[in-house]
Amino acid sequence: MPGDIILKMENITKRFPGVLANDHINFDLREGEVHALVGENGAGKSTLMKILYGLYHPDEGTIYIKVDGELKPVKFKNPQDAIKHGIGMVHQHFMLVYGLTTIENIILGYEPSAVIDFDTAKKEIQKIMDESGLHVPLDVDVEVLSVGQQQRVEILKVLYRKAKILILDEPTAVLTPQETDELFNIINRLKEQGHSIIFISHKLHEVMAIADRISVMRKGRLVHTMPKSEATKEKIAELMVGHPVLLDVPRPNVTPGETILEVENLTVESDTKGVMAVDNVSFYIRAGEIYGIAGVEGNGQAELIEAIYGLRPPKGGKITIKGEDITGKPTHVIRKKGVSHIPGDRHKFGVFLPFTLADNSILGHHREENFAKYGIFRKFSNIAQWAREIIKKFDVRTPSEKVPMSALSGGNQQKFVVGREISFEHELMIAAHPTRGVDIGAMEFIYRQLFEEKKQKKAILLVSADLDELLLLSDRIGVMFKGKIIKELDNTSRQVTPKEVGYYMLGGDVEIHEDSDIAGGEQSA
Amino acid sequence: MWQTIWFIIRSTIISSAPIGYAALGGVFNERSGVVNIALEGILLVSSFGYVAGAFFGHSAWWGLFWGIMAGLLLSLIHAVATVTFKINHIVSGVALNTIAIGVTRMLSLVMFGQETQSKTNSYTQIFGMDIQWLVALMLFLVIAPLSYWLLFKTSLGLRLRSVGENPEAADSLGISVEKMRYTGVLIGGVIASLGGIALYPTIWQSGISGGRGFIGLASMILGNWMPIRSVLASTMFGFADAIRLLDFVKAYIPDEFLTALPYVLVLVVLAGLIGKARPPRADGVPYVRGE
Repeated sequence: MPGDIILKMENITKRFPGVLANDHINFDLREGEVHALVGENGAGKSTLMKILYGLYHPDEGTIYIKVDGELKPVKFKNPQDAIKHGIGMVHQHFMLVYGLTTIENIILGYEPSAVIDFDTAKKEIQKIMDESGLHVPLDVDVEVLSVGQQQRVEILKVLYRKAKILILDEPTAVLTPQETDELFNIINRLKEQGHSIIFISHKLHEVMAIADRISVMRKGRLVHTMPKSEATKEKIAELMVGHPVLLDVPRPNVTPGETILEVENLTVESDTKGVMAVDNVSFYIRAGEIYGIAGVEGNGQAELIEAIYGLRPPKGGKITIKGEDITGKPTHVIRKKGVSHIPGDRHKFGVFLPFTLADNSILGHHREENFAKYGIFRKFSNIAQWAREIIKKFDVRTPSEKVPMSALSGGNQQKFVVGREISFEHELMIAAHPTRGVDIGAMEFIYRQLFEEKKQKKAILLVSADLDELLLLSDRIGVMFKGKIIKELDNTSRQVTPKEVGYYMLGGDVEIHEDSDIAGGEQSA
Repeated sequence: MWQTIWFIIRSTIISSAPIGYAALGGVFNERSGVVNIALEGILLVSSFGYVAGAFFGHSAWWGLFWGIMAGLLLSLIHAVATVTFKINHIVSGVALNTIAIGVTRMLSLVMFGQETQSKTNSYTQIFGMDIQWLVALMLFLVIAPLSYWLLFKTSLGLRLRSVGENPEAADSLGISVEKMRYTGVLIGGVIASLGGIALYPTIWQSGISGGRGFIGLASMILGNWMPIRSVLASTMFGFADAIRLLDFVKAYIPDEFLTALPYVLVLVVLAGLIGKARPPRADGVPYVRGE
């Protein structure tokens, strides 16, 4: 049962040029509780936590920490101060040093002595592992550990520094449902041992499953704190966005038409010579159909898309669009055959940040007669017109098409990319992580656009790390594991559960924990 | 027969020393995330520092002192440029190599009255031992094992390696990336300076380093950035250097070919290593805090 308040943040205010990131925020944490902090991107969660962890300094307000049974005001100059006061942070992007072993990662910066006594350190870590249930191999390079194991190392790092307060920043974003269950078991165990946890997330069903109290942030303000008993998913979502949200976007009923994309025995080499990232993969997508690729990241999804889109030459197999062979053709030819692509990493592949929206709007089609006379001289008014259409149709919030892409928020950049790719003539849409880094509002919008595509009888290849998204959108789901599609699941009437997909994401030979806290029915979709 | 074998071993050790020290210096630099092609320049200035220091100080100890100081100074400039001012590591290295050539020639002109070589230095003994032989032996017996221990068994080494692999993570744990990189560059600089001292303590000539700093970098890559392996790799080049002094080799193989042999070896070895050797992940990448 949660006990006394051990941490209090009072009137925390933080201003950045032009933005009030945190506006007089009051937040507290009790001993042995999980306090969830939810909010959209840019709501100020990260800023607040960075202040607590000593990475930022608040402009106003005070942090109190319980020291010797009494709440005392503290000032953190840097993370070391915060660590000394028992605060530990598990970053969303792991702060692990590849090339170093697990044990080296755990003790790094907090070594027992100048000449390291590895045996003693190992004993101490072993004890923490036994108490918390976090078991990982200690003498291997952390790079070879799975994502779930790497996260355990991160938590072990924090516990090794004797933290009482753990900040978990979007800890489930990278986990399969099974791994998420295990994480929740560990969180519960840590709670029993008297640790307090701040759980940052935007996955509402997880928040409902693990939190004791829930605080919602919106536009820099903490709008509401409530015990779980008073919370519902709908209520939290409404508080987050500021108006009621439809979490469930109705799926249009479309009868699939002819086969658009056919992939036969495709094999693609990874960056490491001789290792096949995609291994003898076959599937097809028909018009009006959404085919989802599930899988833990790094199991060949990226290479599969690159091969279809002409960014990486296949080693073997055949790719056809409407029966026409496009295997190994260059990207601009493939685009002309009617392939659009929403890239997973928009900054790397989707946009040029310093270029204007107008310039970004014609990427890949910049030589077409509509945009360039003789393919050389740009037709500025046509280009501007085209960009304005995308902006209008896809609700991109921007002062004009003349501003650089970098001036837009992540969600608006993504809407622009989605809009651009939809606007060009195409038969096949490759959508990789289409809602990564965008907020709930934009997410709903993008889902509607993809369903609109489906209605227009386009074939859609969807790759996503977000299972809820895959299950919501896809008609069929292929689960990739170590370069192979090891299972294809029929989801035409949304019958697939996250558990089921998670089972195959881990290779299919791992037991399903039916008895755990969040059962398969608990999907936010 | 035994005499010939001993001669080969001894000359291999002596020829390897400058390369091995450079390789080891490179290991400390690059493990901390700084690419240092100025190792070549460090060999040159520390060689000059030794000869000039011993010649004018009338003692090999002064030679040691000034040899190390010269190399340390060049390293310090590299650290300031790359770590503090985040200048491209290669650009800084090229500049320092050029400066090293110019400055030593100028100092030679001022101190010895001629630009291309020094006067002969006769202070080459320490504890009654030839300093070149002593420093060369030290590399294999002391400095290489010590480097391994420092890098892999101490918290300093752990922190140093962590900033070379993932400075952001190290920073999040309260490790000062700048301090660690300075440490890596300076320790590496001192070690490489010993290589310059082992080069030729009797006389300094312009161009005496002869690319050994670069061959040292090749040894480091061949040794996969591991201290002992890098030093062992340097013996391959040292051996190639040593056998050309042998009479019977000289008789059958043209000298030009033998002189080129270490360089050819570098090319062959590095070409064979493509995709196999793995540098530290943040090697040569300036660290800018924030985001």
